[in-house]
Amino acid sequence: MNQTKGKTGGAVQTTGHAWDGDIQEFNNPLPSWWLWSFYATVVFAVVYWIFFPAWPVANSYTKGVMNNITFVDSEGHKKTMHWNTRALLIKELQEGKTAVLSREYMDKVAAAGYSEILGDPEMMAFTRSVAKGLFGDNCAPCHGTGGAGVIGLFPNLADDSWLWGGSVKNIETTISDGRLGFMPAFGDVLSEAQIADTASYVLSLSGQTVDAAASARGKAVFQTNVGGCHYCHTPAGTGLKSQGAANLTDQIWSIIDVNGAADPAAKKALVEQVIAKGVERRMPSWSKRLTPTQIKLLTVYVHELGGGQ
Amino acid sequence: MAQTGIGGVQQYNYDIIKKFAIMTLVWGLLGMATGVYIASELAWPFLNFDIPQITFGRLRPVHTTLVIFGFGGSALFATSYYVVQRTCQTRLYSDWMATLTFWGWQSAVALGAVSYMFGYTQSREYAEFEWPIDLIILVTWVVYFTVYIMTVRRRSQPHIYVANWFYIAFILVIALLHIFNNLAVPVGLFSLKSYSLFSGVQDAMTEWWYGHNAVGFFLTAAFLGMMYYFVPKQAGRPVYSYRLSIVHFWSLAFLYMWVGAHHLHWTALPDWTSTLAATFSIMLLLPSWGGMINGIMTLSGAWDKLRTDPIMLFLITSLSFYGMSTFEGPLMSLKSVNALSHYTDWTIGHVHSGALGWVAMVSFGSFYHMVPRLYDTRVYSTRLIYLHFWLATFGIVLYITSMWVAGIVQGLMLRSFDDYGNLSYTFVESVAFLHKPYVWRALGGLFFLSGVAVMAFNLFMTIRRSRTEAAELETRIAVKMARA
Repeated sequence: MNQTKGKTGGAVQTTGHAWDGDIQEFNNPLPSWWLWSFYATVVFAVVYWIFFPAWPVANSYTKGVMNNITFVDSEGHKKTMHWNTRALLIKELQEGKTAVLSREYMDKVAAAGYSEILGDPEMMAFTRSVAKGLFGDNCAPCHGTGGAGVIGLFPNLADDSWLWGGSVKNIETTISDGRLGFMPAFGDVLSEAQIADTASYVLSLSGQTVDAAASARGKAVFQTNVGGCHYCHTPAGTGLKSQGAANLTDQIWSIIDVNGAADPAAKKALVEQVIAKGVERRMPSWSKRLTPTQIKLLTVYVHELGGGQ
Repeated sequence: MAQTGIGGVQQYNYDIIKKFAIMTLVWGLLGMATGVYIASELAWPFLNFDIPQITFGRLRPVHTTLVIFGFGGSALFATSYYVVQRTCQTRLYSDWMATLTFWGWQSAVALGAVSYMFGYTQSREYAEFEWPIDLIILVTWVVYFTVYIMTVRRRSQPHIYVANWFYIAFILVIALLHIFNNLAVPVGLFSLKSYSLFSGVQDAMTEWWYGHNAVGFFLTAAFLGMMYYFVPKQAGRPVYSYRLSIVHFWSLAFLYMWVGAHHLHWTALPDWTSTLAATFSIMLLLPSWGGMINGIMTLSGAWDKLRTDPIMLFLITSLSFYGMSTFEGPLMSLKSVNALSHYTDWTIGHVHSGALGWVAMVSFGSFYHMVPRLYDTRVYSTRLIYLHFWLATFGIVLYITSMWVAGIVQGLMLRSFDDYGNLSYTFVESVAFLHKPYVWRALGGLFFLSGVAVMAFNLFMTIRRSRTEAAELETRIAVKMARA
C-alpha cells in the first residue's frame, strides 16, 4: 500500500494537525490484509470457544461441545466428561501408547522375583530403561549419574565393594529403609601414639608400605579391647556387612582419598583423622517416596551397576 | 535550538529529562552487567562463590528490576516528559512534582535491588518490592499521573498526539496493576515481610494478570508511545495511518487485559480461564502488529534513510523485533505449544527478543535523537552509533538463537519416551545439555552490554562537548559585547 495513493486512487491527505512543528499523520485506511487477518483470529477464537470450556456464566462456565473425553474413574466406571485437562491426563495415563507399554512391562516386573528378572534379558532391558530415570532423579543428586559417589560423603555404587552387602536383599533393604553409617570417634579414647600406630596397621591391611614396628603396635590396639576395632571390622579387617563396616583390605576407600594422597605420611594422616573423629553418614529411607516396584527396579539397577552378589 | 533559549526562561523543563536520561544509562549498564553475570552463573555455577547475596536466585530479580524499572522506567519517564512537553507545546505542569517522581523512582529501584540481595522479596515476579517500597512507588506514580495529565490539559495544541494516548494508558494501567497485585498485609509495622491478600490459584492469577499487563503496558504500550514520537520525527515523515493508530490502540488496550493467564496453562487454573487467555492472545496478534505497521510504513518512500541514518536503523530494527516477538507470544500462548515451551529457556529467549530487540533498541534510537537536542548539540560520533547498533544486533541474535536451541531441545528431551514407554532422559541430563547454549547466551549478553557501554561513552562525550560549545559561545558573546 502506498501512502500517497488512497483506495480511490487520489492522494491521501494528512489529518491536518501538526505537532512539535512537523509531526503529521496520514489518513491511510486500515491495511486490508491487517483487517482480514484480525477477523480471522476472531473467528479462530470463536471456534475455539465452541469446542472448549471458555466463558464463565453465573457459577459455572460454558463446557464446549462435541469434544468429550471418556475415561475410567477411580471406582472402575466408565465416565464421559466435557474436555478438561484433568480428564485428558487420566485418559492419557490409561490409554496413551507409552503409558500402556510402560504399564505392561511394569506389571510383569512387579509379579516377577529377583532371579526371574535378572535372568530375563527383556525384563532387564526394561529395568535399565526405567531405573535410569529413577536413579537419575532420586539417587544421582548424591551418588552421581554414574553412581560413582563422592569420596568422604556418598559411597561409590559402581565398584564391587559393598558396605552393607551386595545381594539384592541387602540392596533392597538399603534403599527402602535407609542406612546409618556410624563409627565412633576414638580421639578421646586412644592416645595420639595409639591412633598413629593403628593407622599404620590399617594401612598395612591393604598392602601399603608402613613402619613394621608401628604396625605391630597398632595391631595390638586393633585386635584387642584397647581399640576394639575388630568387633566391627572383623579380625581379618574385611568388615561386618551388618554394621556397614568398611572392608579395610581391598584398597577401596570411601571416606578418605588414600589412593590420591601424595606420600605414605599423608596417607597415614588421613587414616588417623578418621580414627580420631569417627564417621557418621546417613542415607534416607525411600519406602515412603517410591513404590515397592520402583524400589525393586532400582535394586536390580544398582545391583547391576556395581558387581552385585 | 530555539527551545533552549540562552540565558532566558526555558520553554520546556529539560533538566528533569536530563536526570532521567543519565539514570537510564546508569541502570542500563548496571542491570545488564548483572544479567551477564547471572547468565555466566548458569553456565559456570562456581561463580555463585557460595555468597548468598550474589547467588542466581537473589541476583535474578536485581537484574529484572534494574533493566525493566531502572533502565526501561527511567527511559519512559525521560521520553514521556520530553514528548508531552513538545507535542503539547507547554512546560511540565509542576517542576517540583517532576523532581519528586525522579527521586521517588530512583530510590525505589535502588532500595529494591539492595533488598533482594539481602533476601527481602515478595517473591512475586517483577513485583518483588516489599510493601514499604511499594508505597514509595505508589506515591511516585500518583504524582507522575498528575504531572502528565495536567500537562496534557494545559496544552496549547487542540489535539492530543497519539504518543500521549499510549503514555497515558501506560501510566493509568500500571497504577491499577501495582495497587491490586500488591494488596498485602504486613506482618508488623516494623517488619519488611508481608503476605498477599490472595491465596492459591487466585494469587497466581493476580500475579500473572499483573505480570503480563506489565509487559503489555509498561514494555509495549509505553514504548509504542516512544515510537510514535521518535519514528516520524527522525524520519521527517507523517505517521502512516491515523486510523490504524486509533484502532490498534483501543484493541491493544482491550485485549491485553485478558491474556495474563496464559502464563498458567496446565496448572490448577480452571480450563475456561486458560482458554480465554489463549484465544485473546491470538486475537492480540494483529493489534500488536498495528504499531509495527504504522512505524515501519512511516518510512515507506524513504527507505534510503536506513543506509545513511543509524538512528533510523535502531528504530526500524526495534520494530522488526517487536513484530517478531509479538508473533512468537501468541504462538507460545497456545496450550499445545505452551506444553513444550513453558518452564524452558524458550520463554527466556522470547522475553529477551522483546526486551533487548524492542524495548532497548527503540530506547537507544530515541536517546540518540533526544539527548543531543536536550543539550543543544550534535551527537559526538555517528560511527560509534553504528558500532553500537552492530554490537547490539549481533548480541540479540546470539541470545535468542541460543535460547531457542536450549528451550526447544530441553522441552523435547523432557517429553521423549523410549521403546519401553519410559522417559528417555533424566532431568539432570537435560540440564547438562544446557551448558553450551548458556555459554552462547552469556556471550550474546556481553555483546549487548558492550554496545551499551559504547553508547554511554558516546553520549557522555556528547554532553561534554555541549559544555565546551556553550562556554565558547559565552566567550564569543562576551567579546562581541565588549567591542560594542
